[in-house]
Amino acid sequence: MSTAPEQSHAVSMVGVSKKWGAVSAFTDVSFDVPQGEVVALLGPSGAGKSTLLRCVNHLETISAGRIYVHGDLIGYRLDKEALYELSDADISRQRQKIGMVFQHFNLFKHMTALQNVMSGPVHVLRASKAEAATLALDLLDKVGLKAKAGAYPSELSGGQQQRVAIARALAMRPRVLLLDEPTSALDPELAQEVVETIRRLAEEGQTMLIATHDMGLARDVADRVIFMEGGGLAEDASSKDFFTAPKSERARQFLARLLSAH
Amino acid sequence: MTAASVPSIPDLPIIHRRRWGSWVLGAFALFVVASIVIASIRTRILDLSVVGEYIFSPMIVMGAFNALVLGTLALVIASIIGFVVALMRVSGNPILMAISATYVYLFRGTPMLIQLVFWFNAVPIMFPNIYLALPFMDAPLINAPTTAVVTPFLAALAGLSLAEGAYMGEIIRGGILAVDKGQRAAATALGMTQLKVLSQVIIPQAGRIIIPAAGNQYIMLLKSSSLASAIGYLELLRVATDIYSSNFRVVELLAVAAFWYLVMTAFATAIQTVLEKVFPQR
Repeated sequence: MSTAPEQSHAVSMVGVSKKWGAVSAFTDVSFDVPQGEVVALLGPSGAGKSTLLRCVNHLETISAGRIYVHGDLIGYRLDKEALYELSDADISRQRQKIGMVFQHFNLFKHMTALQNVMSGPVHVLRASKAEAATLALDLLDKVGLKAKAGAYPSELSGGQQQRVAIARALAMRPRVLLLDEPTSALDPELAQEVVETIRRLAEEGQTMLIATHDMGLARDVADRVIFMEGGGLAEDASSKDFFTAPKSERARQFLARLLSAH
Repeated sequence: MTAASVPSIPDLPIIHRRRWGSWVLGAFALFVVASIVIASIRTRILDLSVVGEYIFSPMIVMGAFNALVLGTLALVIASIIGFVVALMRVSGNPILMAISATYVYLFRGTPMLIQLVFWFNAVPIMFPNIYLALPFMDAPLINAPTTAVVTPFLAALAGLSLAEGAYMGEIIRGGILAVDKGQRAAATALGMTQLKVLSQVIIPQAGRIIIPAAGNQYIMLLKSSSLASAIGYLELLRVATDIYSSNFRVVELLAVAAFWYLVMTAFATAIQTVLEKVFPQR
């Protein structure tokens, strides 16, 4: 693959567009995420942040462009100047190294917290149950929920569910973690415990792409902000610069609206 | 506390409003039920000694057992058919969806009795001979005229299973659709193949959702097995009918049959209750 970008980039978006029929979610988005960087995707609702994340692990197909994760072209095979969609098995293999955390947690309701965290290693990597359980308990400990290992999602608070969901994603040892509005469904107190968990991951050098409306999360945890608006990338700056001196007028307006809302 | 500043309230009893309306309604309902029971006892609609004579007679018990076997096997086969039909229906493949929808329309839309009699008569005409051979065997496994192979039992089983499969298909489809979309997304994002997503996440959750409806269908099937009497299968109702057509104790034998249907229903309800306890809704 001569066109593949540098391997050192955890994620490379190259001219990516997504359309549903005539409706465009975003057009011609390009950026690179170096390994270990935490990127916050900001922007008003409907700017395509979540859709963009779902394209990175091919939960959504793309309409144009290419997405690379650690040099692997996601979802397609390049052959004689055409991109052919990969098989279910091949795409599943690519997804193993891309973790995802959802706004509504999406824990498997019929499994305990422990079984949820074990589900990836056991059902995808075919690890032994004992091995997976040891790893899962370690991860639950890491997110402060070892004591809740036997609890079902319905018995956990939203914040606890989201931390279990993060542990479930980590159990696959993802090289990139995608977080889709991880605190949006939580009240501020519970959101804070999830932000703390994400901050600790950031300190450990976990590469993360976080679509969020949570300015605290973006300002305190992210290294960099990518601001999307009107179906495209409107600003790409370090987190510090974005919040202190946004360059684009639209970003300024966005921040002003948020501040007046509080 | 501010108790000191508030004048002390005497400790009076609290009287809640009586629900007189529900008492009156309950009394009326009890009166209606009692009148019916008393009337039926007074008119001696059935002779209990005759009921006692037949209730455990070998023929009746055998008929009840046959009904139970037929209804249970039909439920198992119908569940398999229903599962396949439901998967076809949600597959997104237009041809499979059309076939599945047509099957459901035809088999849910015609009376079971018509279907039973139809299969019993039509299959031997469509396929006069049944020939089934396995490789590496000299003699074929089955080579016989269809009328000899398609016994009333097999025809009834096929008829009930096919008819019930249409209902189960819709129930299972409903169960699959009731599983939150996020569950599929989460499982897919973990790297599960679509088969794993189905077996590890969708089926366990959909399975729990369909238990009450499936229990209902099981009870319906146990009673629908009586339709097989139309094609000569010796199930409970057929046995009871045969007996009362010779001794004219119609009400007594119908009561005996009803008793055994109630026993079967209690059995099915018990299974459903146990399943709901073992797999609680999370």
